[in-house]
Amino acid sequence: MNEDLILQHGLTLDEFKIIKNYLNRDLTMEELGIFSAMWNEHCCYKTSKKWLKKLPTENEIVIQGPGENAGIIDIQDNDGIAFKIESHNHPSYIEPFNGSATGVGGILRDIFTMGARPIATLDSIRFGLIESEKTKYLLNGVVHGIGHYGNCIGIPNIGGECEFESTYGFNNLVNAMAVGHVQKDKIFYSKPKSIGGLIVYIGSKTGKDGIHGASMASDVFSEDDEDDKRPSVQVGDPFMEKLLMEGCLELMSLGLIESMQDMGAAGITSSSVEMASKGNVGVLINLDKVPLRQPLSAYEILLSESQERMLAVIHEKNNNKVKEILQKWQIDYEVIGEITNNKRVVFESNNKKVVDLPVDIIVDDAPEYDREFYIPRKRKGKDFDFSNIKLEDIINTLLFNLNYLDKSWVFNQYDSTVMGDTIKEPGQSSGIVKIHGTQKVIGATTDCNPLYIRINPYEGMKYTVAESYRNLIACNINPLAITNNLNFASPLDPNIMGELVLSIDGLKKAAAKFNTPIVSGNVSLYNQTNQIPIKPTPVIGMVGLNQDLKKINSNKFCNIGNKILVLGKQLEKNLSPYLLQDQNLASNINEYNDLEELDLDYEKKVADCVLKMSDLKYIMSCNDISRGGVFLSLLKMQYKDMGFKVNIPDPIDLFCEYSAGYVIEIRNEDLNNVTSFLGKNGVGYFEIGEIIRENIEINSKKFDYFDIMNNYHNNFEKIIN
Amino acid sequence: MSFKSAVITFPGSNCDRDALCYLQDLTKGVVYNIWHEEASLPQVDLVILPGGFSFGDYLRSGAMASKSKIINDVIKHANNDRYLLGICNGFQILTEIGLLEGALIQNKNLKFLGKNCFIKKKFKNNFNLSIKEDQVLQIPVAHNEGNFYCDNETLKSLKNNEQIAFEYCKGEFSNSEENINGSIEAIAGITNKKKNILGMMPHPERAYSDFHPSQDGKLIIESLIS
Repeated sequence: MNEDLILQHGLTLDEFKIIKNYLNRDLTMEELGIFSAMWNEHCCYKTSKKWLKKLPTENEIVIQGPGENAGIIDIQDNDGIAFKIESHNHPSYIEPFNGSATGVGGILRDIFTMGARPIATLDSIRFGLIESEKTKYLLNGVVHGIGHYGNCIGIPNIGGECEFESTYGFNNLVNAMAVGHVQKDKIFYSKPKSIGGLIVYIGSKTGKDGIHGASMASDVFSEDDEDDKRPSVQVGDPFMEKLLMEGCLELMSLGLIESMQDMGAAGITSSSVEMASKGNVGVLINLDKVPLRQPLSAYEILLSESQERMLAVIHEKNNNKVKEILQKWQIDYEVIGEITNNKRVVFESNNKKVVDLPVDIIVDDAPEYDREFYIPRKRKGKDFDFSNIKLEDIINTLLFNLNYLDKSWVFNQYDSTVMGDTIKEPGQSSGIVKIHGTQKVIGATTDCNPLYIRINPYEGMKYTVAESYRNLIACNINPLAITNNLNFASPLDPNIMGELVLSIDGLKKAAAKFNTPIVSGNVSLYNQTNQIPIKPTPVIGMVGLNQDLKKINSNKFCNIGNKILVLGKQLEKNLSPYLLQDQNLASNINEYNDLEELDLDYEKKVADCVLKMSDLKYIMSCNDISRGGVFLSLLKMQYKDMGFKVNIPDPIDLFCEYSAGYVIEIRNEDLNNVTSFLGKNGVGYFEIGEIIRENIEINSKKFDYFDIMNNYHNNFEKIIN
Repeated sequence: MSFKSAVITFPGSNCDRDALCYLQDLTKGVVYNIWHEEASLPQVDLVILPGGFSFGDYLRSGAMASKSKIINDVIKHANNDRYLLGICNGFQILTEIGLLEGALIQNKNLKFLGKNCFIKKKFKNNFNLSIKEDQVLQIPVAHNEGNFYCDNETLKSLKNNEQIAFEYCKGEFSNSEENINGSIEAIAGITNKKKNILGMMPHPERAYSDFHPSQDGKLIIESLIS
């Protein structure tokens, strides 16, 4: 086989040699395509596997950890929560609308494949600087795409994050997360149960969209179809997905299916190989039976990433019943193969075996690399000069920086209340939905602090996990588990590889301390364009529970006259990375001081106190403190006609970041109880001020309340247009 | 005598479950869920055409659903002076069937709009009896095509016949808008001349339970039952 062809398929010559030595024969083109799909980073985690193995993935509530379509945790009774986050970065840059829409579609399939009904989506999106027209185009397209898909299928979008930073200019990030509810005794896995089970194809017809290296495929195989080089970004149809979801959930609720696997990345190849591998069985599939949108070669069928398709295994006796139900939902359905006992993956086309491979070589022998990595150098200490920074200027800078502003423009394009169970809508510290028909609520949040992680990947990652943790705690949600999306630049650069390794280490440390195991995840590498690597962006999606929806904390002020307290430990001005960055004090990454070590025990102690005080009903409202410090936290808490009055020795401290930081609102009569409770538990607090009407006052200096609130709420839309 | 009701489900409906819960919780009576391919409706007091993206909004929002098999019986139901409520996509379907006048076109900013909005009643009818004059209701909207449009003559007749049930208004938040989607005269919901059919863009079924930010959506069912 010619070397160019091998390299074009993303395999190294060494990798190819391993395959060839194992098989002791030449490969067919179809087989080469299969290795290309299965041995890439996305499917086999060849760079990250060694490090991911170190993560805590189990505890008493984990029903399903990494390795299935989604992770599942136990939330008592017969209820389980399935959730996962996944990236669609590159497609969303090439074609923002369809790229992001199919990102949402893909993650929703991962959830309902397991028998769970999706109950919420979240996202984490990052773009370059808004001054660029390209960024505006990408932002509009991505938000439109996420909204279009989720709104149509009817799953509420309850939160997420949206950041603008220069390194994402030519490599925006789109990570979509979905959460589903499953009955514990009705979970479906991808492992087939019986030899002889029928492999059935359910969903949209297969077309050329998303074929891995589509251009190459058509060059090699279809000499005469110049006009037929379809774009390689998948096109989504949320209406079809809605039908597919309802159809599949109906089949599963009736027990008509043995196992299911969605056709996501690498389509039918990946889903069938996974099935065979999980079940330790073989698959025999006739590609001529696959429903097609247009004439396709066997190679193209194997690698198509057409959306809204599922592969399931059913018992022959259920065939007619399955067909009948899917007909009602107007979904294509075809028996395309069977489960065999020979542990081989066999695809036939035109009465010829085009693929005949042992499952072992594809999955178990997939390469795993131990890439070289560097540990960042120790940082030199530096004192920044704050003498020229005025309070008014800081406030003004924040009110014209997209990263601080109210992002209603984004989430008002999402349906956040469909399904009727939304408790907390986007834009607050975490999104919260009720489990239908119960009093239980699930909180979820996505977070990442790329700047922290570039400064110190290990500590920075701890801060990122802690931020997710605080987002849930602030609402009185008990954090339970994590899904992660590790977005990095090229791991072939040992510096980047170092960031990957160390941040996984930080994740491990924090997740173990918080008892929030990692139950699912995704890795997206090579995020760099024009030699500009993105900042390390390992996004955390954290999920938590409260058994009683009535106990949820508000994140908004409740009453004029109530006291405002700040809990936690402030980072010094010199050690607050976002303050230094956003006030233009640090001009390049080398100037920052090292991060202060995050004390996870303290973080947990303060969190436990917040949960306890919430249950005691001392807390009237609460918000965590992150980028923008106490000041931004207070702005986010503003509600109706309420403002705030604060006193602080150095007002610049209002903008510093925190560890274990929360702003809480309490009634005057509870002040003694609260402070003695905090004192007894060794939690630092600061009585900073109170809620007042239609005013913002800092150290007796009055600011224009309406001007600030108006800028905070409306500037985002003004700036991006 | 208990109040009976039904919710029609089309392929792509996604607020059918919400509407079923809304009716079950508030009417305490029998609630049927009817698939669009059924030929007939049971005898009920109220039928809801729920929100969503029936048939994926292909062709035009509501256009395909308006040709569904069950629609004949829905029309019969309405002609018998029983209540018919179309919410969001249901409103769009009602205008496509021709049971309500006007049309719902794309929002003025050309974007999907999902947020809390504020409405008040304009003219009295059986759907808003329990709502006080000038009472501001907080109810979520979630639509791409909610911008009510009609020609001047129709508008005049809608007014003369007191068919405008709800209009958008400013709420208690300082940055709330008066007319969120650009509808003519801020119309949020209209009835037919006989006032037994209501179409509205806001979703009352997302604003009735204790845990919802507002319970104002209850008032519509309470109006019909009282």
